[in-house]
Amino acid sequence: MTAGTMPAVMRRPAALLAVLVVGLLGGCALIPPTPGTTQADSVYALYIVIFTLGAIVFFVVEGFIIYAVIRYRRRDDRLPTQHHGNNRVEIIWTVIPTVIVMILFIGSLVTLASIEQEGADPVNIEVEGFQWQWAFHYLDEGVTVDGGSVENPPVMVVPVNRPIHLILHSDDVIHSFFVPNFLTKRDVVPFAEGTNPNELEFTVNRLGTFRGQCAEFCGRGHAEMTFVVISMDPADYADWVVEQRAAASVEPTPTIPAGLQIVRISADQLEFDTNLLEVPAGEDFVIEFTNNEVDIPHNVAIYDGEATLFQGEWLTGPGTIQYLVPALDAGEYTFQCDVHPSMFGTVTAR
Amino acid sequence: MATTTLAPEAPAYQRSWVIEWLTTVDHKKIGILYILNSFVFFFGAGILALLVRSELAVPGLQILDESTFNQAFTMHGTLMVFLFIVPMMSGFGNYIVPLQLGAPDMAFPRINALSFWMLPLGGLLLISGYLFGGAAAGGWTGYNPLTQERFSPGVGMDLWIMGLTVVGTASILGSVNFITTIFKMRAPGMSLFRMPIFTWTILVTQTLILLATPVLAAGLIALFIDRNYGGSFFDPSVGGDPILWQHVFWFFGHPEVYIVILPALGVVSEILPVFSRKPLFGYHAFVYATVAIGLLSFSVWAHHMFTTGVVFLPFFTFMTALIAVPTGVKMFNWMATLWRGSLVFATPMLFALGLISMFLIGGISGVMMASAPIDFHLQDTYFAVAHLHYVFFGGAAFGVFAATYYWFPKMTGRRLNEFVGKIHFGLIFLGFNLAFFPMHELGIQGMPRRIADYSPDAGWTVMNMLSTGGAFLIALSMIPFVVNVVATLINGERVGDDPWEGNTLEWATSSPPPAYNFDRLPPIRSERPMFDLRHKHDPAVHHELATAEAES
Repeated sequence: MTAGTMPAVMRRPAALLAVLVVGLLGGCALIPPTPGTTQADSVYALYIVIFTLGAIVFFVVEGFIIYAVIRYRRRDDRLPTQHHGNNRVEIIWTVIPTVIVMILFIGSLVTLASIEQEGADPVNIEVEGFQWQWAFHYLDEGVTVDGGSVENPPVMVVPVNRPIHLILHSDDVIHSFFVPNFLTKRDVVPFAEGTNPNELEFTVNRLGTFRGQCAEFCGRGHAEMTFVVISMDPADYADWVVEQRAAASVEPTPTIPAGLQIVRISADQLEFDTNLLEVPAGEDFVIEFTNNEVDIPHNVAIYDGEATLFQGEWLTGPGTIQYLVPALDAGEYTFQCDVHPSMFGTVTAR
Repeated sequence: MATTTLAPEAPAYQRSWVIEWLTTVDHKKIGILYILNSFVFFFGAGILALLVRSELAVPGLQILDESTFNQAFTMHGTLMVFLFIVPMMSGFGNYIVPLQLGAPDMAFPRINALSFWMLPLGGLLLISGYLFGGAAAGGWTGYNPLTQERFSPGVGMDLWIMGLTVVGTASILGSVNFITTIFKMRAPGMSLFRMPIFTWTILVTQTLILLATPVLAAGLIALFIDRNYGGSFFDPSVGGDPILWQHVFWFFGHPEVYIVILPALGVVSEILPVFSRKPLFGYHAFVYATVAIGLLSFSVWAHHMFTTGVVFLPFFTFMTALIAVPTGVKMFNWMATLWRGSLVFATPMLFALGLISMFLIGGISGVMMASAPIDFHLQDTYFAVAHLHYVFFGGAAFGVFAATYYWFPKMTGRRLNEFVGKIHFGLIFLGFNLAFFPMHELGIQGMPRRIADYSPDAGWTVMNMLSTGGAFLIALSMIPFVVNVVATLINGERVGDDPWEGNTLEWATSSPPPAYNFDRLPPIRSERPMFDLRHKHDPAVHHELATAEAES
């Protein structure tokens, strides 16, 4: 191509747009986040191989199209040679993608075998996904992490360099346990009785805090199902377990003294039965909360703007619980279900 | 002396044009009705897409709440797939296939009208949930048990099921009609291997519809029974299997992808030869590749289910990646068709080239996700959203626009303005890539699909803003398109019967064609009868024709 033809070429919209596409492609990294587990290291390596193959195919084909658009544009009215086909080239370009496919297939099998290997002495955690939050039950340590909100997501603490074995359990709809840095996810499926739950194993190999969230659309609060995985040295992890156990045992269940005023509220169909609670000001009182919804957790918490005044324990229905609420000054506050912040109302203390 | 003459132009049975269009059984009018109906739903579903993208532009909930967001993306996906892209291709098929076969009409004209009129009915049923407390909000895939009565109580979900069943029934009826027409109504000389590629792709597509759609219909009816009559197909709390729904849905849903894309690839294979003045390179290989894709499409459904933990990964990885082979053959044949051609860049050609380059990206990202370990990361993220839009929009919808520009002169006798058409192409090409390319990166960084909101700390804001900007650019590109169509209809350039020097039989009659389609047909000795007719004195072409004559 001579220099003289270039400007004419650049004026062609198709060529110009093609240049823009390539620019756009170059502008994005398209590389996965830094792997956090040994399994993610394998997936990352496979990704780089397959992505490179894909990029080569991309540039060869797009390059050819751009070349053809420039080189073979109509210059005169002559009829070009009428090639109808050629069996030899058909065979060649059947073989080329077949070879690429075989590379991809074998690479995938090898990677699959390596990431599905189970290690010795794992930390067994039952992950419970429900609309719309997570609970982590450490089966051998007897520790449970639950609660939390979008701003304050539940934390799964794990030791580094030790296999973490998750048992994924749901009682409502399908969720999916996804940590981008682990380059994997697994669906949390409410299988019928008699079917084993899904499992997922990984070994975190670096210290860090990893953001995770539900990846299978699960209804209104899908976006709120966030969580965090924090990896620690084994010694710190052991300390954490001890702390959790201690916290669980000292947390007293407050006994409800007789004679306090009782305010009743119930929840069903993701709604409270009232949006107004009238409570006495300046003295302790009791909220008797009934959750009529099967398998769905709710609670009642009272806020003054951003400040938390009282946070009731989560109750999975059906059931009733009594909360002992410390005295409130006269005034207006809001209450809500922390699991479902769209369930809220006003508390008037007078 | 008494003379007998034929009754002079017996006055046609007069009726208003409204009645004429409402009761027509002419495949060309029904085809246009299909196309208009599909564009109406396209614009509606496009507005829903703008709502979704506006909500996601920045973190926080601004214009939609979570429920309306979920309804918006559910109805966007459902309408785009079932009421825009599939019926749109059926519309072009309706108009073009009988013409390409040299036939006077479809085999069953009344069934043809019935299968069209069920579409707007089904579509209205689908969206009528908005009038009764909220439309369906379970995603276009309607996964169980989320779509069970106890998690999605509203009547919107039942209306979604009923609407889809009606639309599905319409496509089953249509497929029987197409298959019969193609096998039984070809003109003399039109052997299967002289059929235009677009008609071939319609034949394979309609066969897929006939085999796959009843499976979806069965699943939808089972879900309706679960919801309303105490069934237990998919609800695990009463012993059902939620994964069964995914098998049923994707056994339909993956062939559906090819139902959507194959006719668009057929359109490209009509346009490239015409605007390169060369035959389609490897016509036979192209037909075999189309059939191979159709067959393989029934053995790959579970690649949508890699993360469910219940499918045999190596088989589905292998079969899915294998589809890249016939698709690659198509891509290479297109490249060889351009090679040493004589290319002009009219708007249909621009959209065809745009389709090839965009569908390539969708193909590459598809093969990446065929690998199960990589899919574990990318499944249900924005990478999948990017992939499916590069196939459905960059592939199929670009095919729709290519077909619109290419066959508009056939339908009206007038050509859409080329200058405005190129503005449309430039805007939509830019907007499309701006809207969907950043989604690859979002998905790789871990943004799940179908979330109404995301944290400002996630680092996804810039890409989301770009993407939203692109979506509005696509919307903007619709203005020149609509203006072009309206202005051309009113006062467009009249370009005669065959403005593009077409190859296939639809160009052998007037534009627009008379109700009975053809006065006479040229001899059919190859897949390009009109090219042969135009160049019959060219020695090379003459020799080819003589050979074909001797063989037949």
